[in-house]
Amino acid sequence: MECLDFRRAAGADPGHLGVEATAHRDMCPTCAEFLRQTLVLDERILAALRVPVPQRNATAVTPNVVAFPRVERRRWMALAASIAGGVVVGSLLWVSGPRASLAQDVVRHMAHEPGVMVMTSAPEDASQVERVMERGGIRLRSDAGMVSYAQTCRFRGEKVPHLVVQTDAGPVTVMVLRNEKVPAPVKFAEQGFVGTILPAGPGSVAVLGPTGVDLSQVAGRVAAAVVW
Amino acid sequence: MNAPFAGKHGESAFARLCDELRPDLYRFAFWLARDRQVADDVVQEALLRAWRSRGSLAETAAVKPWLLTIIRREHARLFERKRFKTVQVDELIGSESPELAAEEVQETMDVRRAIFALEDDYREPLVLQVLMGYTTDEIATQLGLTQGAVLTRLFRARQKLRKQLGLAATGEED
Repeated sequence: MECLDFRRAAGADPGHLGVEATAHRDMCPTCAEFLRQTLVLDERILAALRVPVPQRNATAVTPNVVAFPRVERRRWMALAASIAGGVVVGSLLWVSGPRASLAQDVVRHMAHEPGVMVMTSAPEDASQVERVMERGGIRLRSDAGMVSYAQTCRFRGEKVPHLVVQTDAGPVTVMVLRNEKVPAPVKFAEQGFVGTILPAGPGSVAVLGPTGVDLSQVAGRVAAAVVW
Repeated sequence: MNAPFAGKHGESAFARLCDELRPDLYRFAFWLARDRQVADDVVQEALLRAWRSRGSLAETAAVKPWLLTIIRREHARLFERKRFKTVQVDELIGSESPELAAEEVQETMDVRRAIFALEDDYREPLVLQVLMGYTTDEIATQLGLTQGAVLTRLFRARQKLRKQLGLAATGEED
């Protein structure tokens, strides 16, 4: 192998030299130095390619987010505009924009619960559902829909029931928030989710679904099925 | 057919895998688009498509190349829909601060600027090789090129970077 051939090979794939190239490197100090410099260059290239990954991307990857990704900003703007223009909000309080609200915390919590909000015909283990309900001091009437996931989760310092219920509108997440009062129903749309937090019992019930799901009927029905 | 990502257990496994791969996926998308917002959108859309089709995957090892393929297509699709304005490299680098530029040493920024300036045909195989650890054979498959073409592009990509960075030439012109 000639020096020029070696440099073409090493310049294209310095980490995988063939037998001939390796032999040439061992007998040609100039080409060995070229290879060394190329490997140093590759280290610099690698360092440059490793751009910082936004924190949101590094930590909030769950099937929830995978399945129902964050709404593109422009799409969200269009959605917000159409809602603002066409829907009478009535007594509902529409929450929008950046905030550290109950709604935002609920969505954030969703992003840490892997593999739950998916359409399935497999019910959660009955004893698990019972245990979660019991800990939360609630019951969920069967007319809410089939429970496919039940877990007691820590939320804002409290242990709360976190359920996924299979409704006719698709799977929705239900969080029973005994210690979180809201003065009126709160609607929100964030990170690919739409949701409603309804005053219920001593606190509230949050119902979330992926963007596009019509929660107007489902949320009230599911929340009403929670027996305190 | 073996379907490691079917069923409830498979869903969780797929989610974990996506979680692990996401930094790589984001970076790959970023270097395709050279834009954080676009990269973010592309990854989100790609993962959505992947999630819907995960049942068709027969083996875990196939996930990464499959996801990269989806990202490439998603990026191309997005690019077809929207004509991005042409920007200068310095403007591009500048627009990334402070997230991208913060705390980075000057040397890394210089190399990053040089990579930004590479044509797509040279930048993409280089990213696949150096960042993703692909072999030239795998890159050829991924990009639909011959292995010879990939080797040529990789060689020229490094040539151009050397030139941009003021390093010694290698004896062959571009």
